Amino acid sequence: MSLRSNDRQWGSVAKFFHWVIALAILGNGTFGLLMDLAHSPMQKINWLALHKSIGLSVLALVLLRVVWRWRDGRPREESAPRWQQWAARGVHGALYVLIVALPLSGWWFNSVTGKPLQWFKQFNLPALAAKNDDLSHFAHGVHEYLFWFLLLVLVAHVGAALKHHVFDNDNVLRRMLPFSRLRDEPAQKGES
Amino acid sequence: MPRLAMLLALALPFAASAADYTVQPAGSTLGFSDTFQGEAFNGHFDRWTAAISYDAANLASSKFDVDVDLASAKTGDNDRDHALPGTDFFDVAKFPKAHFVTTGFRQNGAQVIADGKLTLRGVSRPVSLQVTFKPQGSGATLDVAGSVKRLDFGVGGGDYADTSVIGADVKITAHLQLAPR
Repeated sequence: MSLRSNDRQWGSVAKFFHWVIALAILGNGTFGLLMDLAHSPMQKINWLALHKSIGLSVLALVLLRVVWRWRDGRPREESAPRWQQWAARGVHGALYVLIVALPLSGWWFNSVTGKPLQWFKQFNLPALAAKNDDLSHFAHGVHEYLFWFLLLVLVAHVGAALKHHVFDNDNVLRRMLPFSRLRDEPAQKGES
Repeated sequence: MPRLAMLLALALPFAASAADYTVQPAGSTLGFSDTFQGEAFNGHFDRWTAAISYDAANLASSKFDVDVDLASAKTGDNDRDHALPGTDFFDVAKFPKAHFVTTGFRQNGAQVIADGKLTLRGVSRPVSLQVTFKPQGSGATLDVAGSVKRLDFGVGGGDYADTSVIGADVKITAHLQLAPR
């Protein structure tokens, strides 16, 4: 498997970004929703610090991923009805925007609440905005609802991938799966 | 040491006792600072009293005696200000006040050091403060600075003892505007 993507499948770097970011967002999102289970204020402080550190890592990874994607290109699109190709582009675009917006909204929420932002106890990052207690509640809502919205878009993304895999028997999912072998190229259905 | 003898001879007639001052609340502050998750924060006490007797030429008769109402601590963060009076930190229900009283003054080069005893949360420990006293008209300004280890006094013990989250050393600074008594 090559590092770079080719005409038929995603390279290992693209796969790495895809799956690591997917796991980090789902894990960190679930973690974020469970914050209130902390059994002491200090545990919550430490959990939040971990949640923020993971979120900042996602932000860094997605920025690297966008740069890589721009340098690397992508496999050619599988033949599909035009509306499906546009829907796929829309869903992918929305996912990229949401993956960037989610950690940024957390950073903003943290800033207006006036809390420090530290990456795994290594270094601190500046606030994105001045402390503003009136905005804190709203910013928390933005951060949380962006996650729910991301999940909604993810349902479409995963659903479409499974539909391609199970019903269309094509390589849309396989070309992004780690260690998977592509199916033989089906006969071209022609431009639709 | 003829020069020192002369200075002493000059000072002695006035050395009966150090001058007493009253603190002018306007313009006087008692503050502290520490770090939380790698970021410095500043706090201050709204309510405190200090009896100040000071004479630079007669340090032996000088004395600071300070009472601090711990429930009046403010740091500009709601969570923190809510936590500080609690049992994990100052425990104001049991120990409403901190008390600092000097036990002696000494000269360290050009710097005057006030040695004293700080009683906080039921624990008494020696604490030394750097003193900068500047006569101003009939009054004076007094600046002190020092540092205490919060865990020596059990401030933020238990869960909060992790000094990689809440810094171990708390800096104390005070600026006092003094008027003659």
